[in-house]
Amino acid sequence: MSTLADLLDRRDARLALIGLIVFLIAAAFPWTVPGLAGLPPLLARLVGGLLIAGLAVANILVLRRMPFEFQVLLAWAELLLVFALFFWSFGLDYRFILANVPGLLGFGAGQAFLQGAVLTVVICLVSIAFATLLALIGALARLSGNGLAFGVATFYISFFRGTPLLLQVLLIYLGLPQIGLTLEAVPAGIIALSLCYGAYMAEIFRAGIEAVGRGQREAAASLGLTHAQAMRLVILPQAMRLVIPPTGNQFIAMLKDSSLVSVMGVWELMFLARTYGRAEFKYMEMLITAALIYWLLSAVFEVIQARIERHYGKGVRP
Amino acid sequence: MPLSRRGAVLAAALSLVAAAEVSAGEALDRIKEAGVLTMSTDPEYPPQSSLDPATNEFQGFDIDVGREIARRLGVDIRFVTPGWDVITAGRWAGRWDISVGSMTPTEERAQVLDFPAVYYFTPASLVVHKDNETIATPADAGGKRIGVGVATTYESYLKKDLTIDVADAPPFTYQIDDAEIRTYDTDLLALDDLRLGDGTRLDAAFTALPTILDAIERGYPFKIVGEPLFKEPLSVAIDKGDPELAAEITRIVDEMKADGTLAKLSAQYYGTDLTQ
Repeated sequence: MSTLADLLDRRDARLALIGLIVFLIAAAFPWTVPGLAGLPPLLARLVGGLLIAGLAVANILVLRRMPFEFQVLLAWAELLLVFALFFWSFGLDYRFILANVPGLLGFGAGQAFLQGAVLTVVICLVSIAFATLLALIGALARLSGNGLAFGVATFYISFFRGTPLLLQVLLIYLGLPQIGLTLEAVPAGIIALSLCYGAYMAEIFRAGIEAVGRGQREAAASLGLTHAQAMRLVILPQAMRLVIPPTGNQFIAMLKDSSLVSVMGVWELMFLARTYGRAEFKYMEMLITAALIYWLLSAVFEVIQARIERHYGKGVRP
Repeated sequence: MPLSRRGAVLAAALSLVAAAEVSAGEALDRIKEAGVLTMSTDPEYPPQSSLDPATNEFQGFDIDVGREIARRLGVDIRFVTPGWDVITAGRWAGRWDISVGSMTPTEERAQVLDFPAVYYFTPASLVVHKDNETIATPADAGGKRIGVGVATTYESYLKKDLTIDVADAPPFTYQIDDAEIRTYDTDLLALDDLRLGDGTRLDAAFTALPTILDAIERGYPFKIVGEPLFKEPLSVAIDKGDPELAAEITRIVDEMKADGTLAKLSAQYYGTDLTQ
């Protein structure tokens, strides 16, 4: 094993390995090499694979000499190009896509007030607010000495982390009317998302609170702060810094999980993508467009998260 | 014993809830009072029901039949779009009043829904990729991979446990043995997989003939195998327990059959009269 590790320490050996892997992947596709249409299939695979592996290796050799920022930029640009070529090869109907982007976003002709991507974002913002509240209560209850609070919190966390979100959505939408409470689809979806993500985030919050040093607690107590004051003024602000990155993660996950509420007939992004695609038998077009919109939304929230992180990280920045 | 008394109270409360659900005429009263008939529809099934992306208006055969029923009831119509399995699960809790959704009245569904009126019949056909050479008759598809929508009558047919719960259902025989059933969220996903190529993921798909014809018209490389395997009656569905609404729907649909309205709509969307 040590010889393999030694080998991998060498730059050129690593490069050769990468070249080999790219070749094997590329050779798995049935290429048609331009200008050599008459090539037998196996040979075409070999030539195609070699060409692409060669491109990849040459690319790495060139990039090596560049400064870091340039490498990052070029890596993104190249991957985006490969992505674009991949989708280009589907032969999609781009006019259809362009015509329906406003509809998917929620600004199409004849659409109600809240639909599409706008509705997705609104559902997630409201749900993340409730989920944060639930998570805070859940975490504090889990950390409290009160057996009843601890029991309720652990039961809640265990159930909502341990069952599929789709099931929770359906239980709330179809189950509650059985005991006389008939919710509309959007509120039912918000409740399900809040409860589910509140349970996950309660564990994040607990970890954040526990990670604040014991000395902080003792110092607060020695200053005469009550337990509640210490929590509010000393512990939680420090815990926030630790909690923000995983919470941002949860929010981005929720953005995509919110498509599950479409089973109740909520006209969010995924529902409209499927329905528009079906109407014209152009399913791929709408799925890819929806994917790009989700991605863009996530990117926006990544930026927002970075801002919030900077705000709560003030105390520890050098 | 206190425990059993509490149990009795709970049972009484539950029976009250149950009683409230099944009181006769309630749904009809609600519709007339609100002046709106709320219809559930699954807009992923052209030409029965789809959403026009340009206008965000519903369109299709089911939509027009629903509109006509509402017109004859003297009320407006509103559409909601819960998932198909949410619709067929029943217990609608007054969220919507009616499903004009090309639903086959099976025995299982009849346990939670009422089927007041069959409004047309759809032939169910087997379809293969146009490059296929091995499946010339439905019987040839025995043991092959066949794609169907989940919880559809097509799946039940392949499993040989299809029971249709209406008096005048046309008789049929099972012609495909030991199919390797591949279920999809909707029938159209099965068609998308079949489109990839003969035998790539599926050897055949099994769904409504109008759906297949619509796909072929949009350029899907398919050919239809033999004659339809069964003709399924498709019914309007309402939540269980309102005989007055059921009677009203039966009357209206009979009227639409008698005066040729249904036949005309069928010709418009399917190019032929499927209502007989």
